[in-house]
Amino acid sequence: MPSVLEPITIPKRTVKKEISSKDQFAPTYYVICWNDPVNLMVFVTHVFMKLFGWDRQKAEKHMMEVHEKGKSVLVREGAEKAEFYVHQLQNYKLQATMEPAE
Amino acid sequence: MRLVRQNKIGWQYHLNHREGDCLRSLLSQFPVTASVQAKISKTDADPKTVERENLLNESLAEHRKELKKKAMNLLAPGKFKRGEKGFVLTLSLEEREILLQILNDIRIGCWHVLGEPEELEPETPPQTEKELVYYNLMNLAGYFEVAFLNTYTGDLQRGHD
Repeated sequence: MPSVLEPITIPKRTVKKEISSKDQFAPTYYVICWNDPVNLMVFVTHVFMKLFGWDRQKAEKHMMEVHEKGKSVLVREGAEKAEFYVHQLQNYKLQATMEPAE
Repeated sequence: MRLVRQNKIGWQYHLNHREGDCLRSLLSQFPVTASVQAKISKTDADPKTVERENLLNESLAEHRKELKKKAMNLLAPGKFKRGEKGFVLTLSLEEREILLQILNDIRIGCWHVLGEPEELEPETPPQTEKELVYYNLMNLAGYFEVAFLNTYTGDLQRGHD
């Protein structure tokens, strides 16, 4: 006579989202554009639109921030991308740097 | 200076004789000033910063060499077509960006040579001929930047395609 087996409960498999330690701990940087008296406002707006694909309104907002507050944080990125943006901005002769986000 | 035609291929500008001659002169003199050492960070004490800064300066120097070549391309025969009333300059999107970078390099370079003044219109006239030359070049480059950029917002007369 077949014995009655007790139902086996299979533990629910939990899938943990893997977070790579590289992503978790990699430092991030603010790409900052600093004010100077020589770069023309219309030029700065144009560069922001060109490099970041922003619309005119957003580009002008950041340009005015640079003009009025002395600097504007443009993006927060990992080292490689932040470095890329600084190179691009400086190719246009804007005063841009990358600063640790912590 | 005005935009006379715009289509998918590019832009066509009309410049009077004086504007055409000035722009060609600016392009032929590029680079007007020596390179200035660029900073990549104001606060980062990371040892990698020095390496990054060196890389940045190498990259900027290389980019400037490329700009010089492209400035020469913009002066190639046929680019500025001389007519009775001035010049017709045809630019692709890429060429216009190059031109803007060249003009701003000249403008910023002159500003550095002038000692990075806060006031771009000095109360007293420039004291030396050298100063006068750099002030004029800085203003001329700025004039063309504004002229080319104003066409984005349709501030200049626009023709038909």
